[in-house]
Amino acid sequence: MNNDIKDGFIANLPISVSVFSYGVVLGIICTSKAISFLELAFMNIFIFAGSAQFVIVDMLTTPINIVAIVSSALLINLRYFLITASLNTLFKDTSLKNRFFIIHFVTDESWAVTINRQKQKEVTTYFLLGGGLCIFITWFLGTTLGYFFGEFISNPKVFGLDFAFLALFTAIVTSMYKSKDDFLPFLLTAIIAIILEYYLNNMFYIILSAIFGSLFYVWRKNARE
Amino acid sequence: MQESNLNLLLIIFLVAIGTYTLRISGLLLSNKLKEIKNIDIFLESIPPTLLIALIVPSIIKEGLIGVIASLFIIIIMYKTKNTFLAMFIGVLIVALQRNGLLF
Repeated sequence: MNNDIKDGFIANLPISVSVFSYGVVLGIICTSKAISFLELAFMNIFIFAGSAQFVIVDMLTTPINIVAIVSSALLINLRYFLITASLNTLFKDTSLKNRFFIIHFVTDESWAVTINRQKQKEVTTYFLLGGGLCIFITWFLGTTLGYFFGEFISNPKVFGLDFAFLALFTAIVTSMYKSKDDFLPFLLTAIIAIILEYYLNNMFYIILSAIFGSLFYVWRKNARE
Repeated sequence: MQESNLNLLLIIFLVAIGTYTLRISGLLLSNKLKEIKNIDIFLESIPPTLLIALIVPSIIKEGLIGVIASLFIIIIMYKTKNTFLAMFIGVLIVALQRNGLLF
């Protein structure tokens, strides 16, 4: 058991470098949004989902629209439903108590590393847990460093740091582009978002555009088959 | 300020509960999930469409430099698959322009 945790931890170290970097960026952005370190720590511990945390922090403007922020963050995290659903067989011999504990530490990164390792040899849930702990620790360290480093930067805009969030997500979306089939749904979503953002005075344009875009994606996929 | 901090704590609480529910229910309900038609395709496409909806209007608001930086990010990401490099170049382009070093 302990060896599996260690193996999982070590296997996730390479990817944790980028997790650390995003953490630094989030920490810096938090200081510019007057978020306390305790609030950041709560997010890291209880939410522990990087992109959702970015979304929450980015959408914190006055007046705060709680419903829009919560639903956007949860829509982003909907993928965890699929991710953990795909871990069904890995967990088949795990006790319910361990399931409830380990599942909280599942991230995109540790999940991907575990799925990859599974192709080479048999892995256990402790490997998954070790990876999750590795990502958890580096994420926490990264955001902490960014947070206290950020206090020394009087104007992050000069360094373009407010653009880091958009830059990161542009890169992530590009990595999600799988084939030519994605092009039209992605483009349509972008156009709908630009139009709805112009006409709606709240953040619901994000959720509405995403739902329209994804429904279009499903419709096209069905029409094709 | 006080009110906004309370709001943020409420947001953190709700998102934490929701995210944990999504993680655990995926694991516990995975057999039932397969029965709903097209749900897998829909859920699979939600992360990219949601991120696009989130960032594109903000990039447009950033102006021409936002669009240029984003195109560079997409090209670098597509060619190198290096998220950090792509992000770094994008931020660098915006920073250079804001300091009057580009145009």
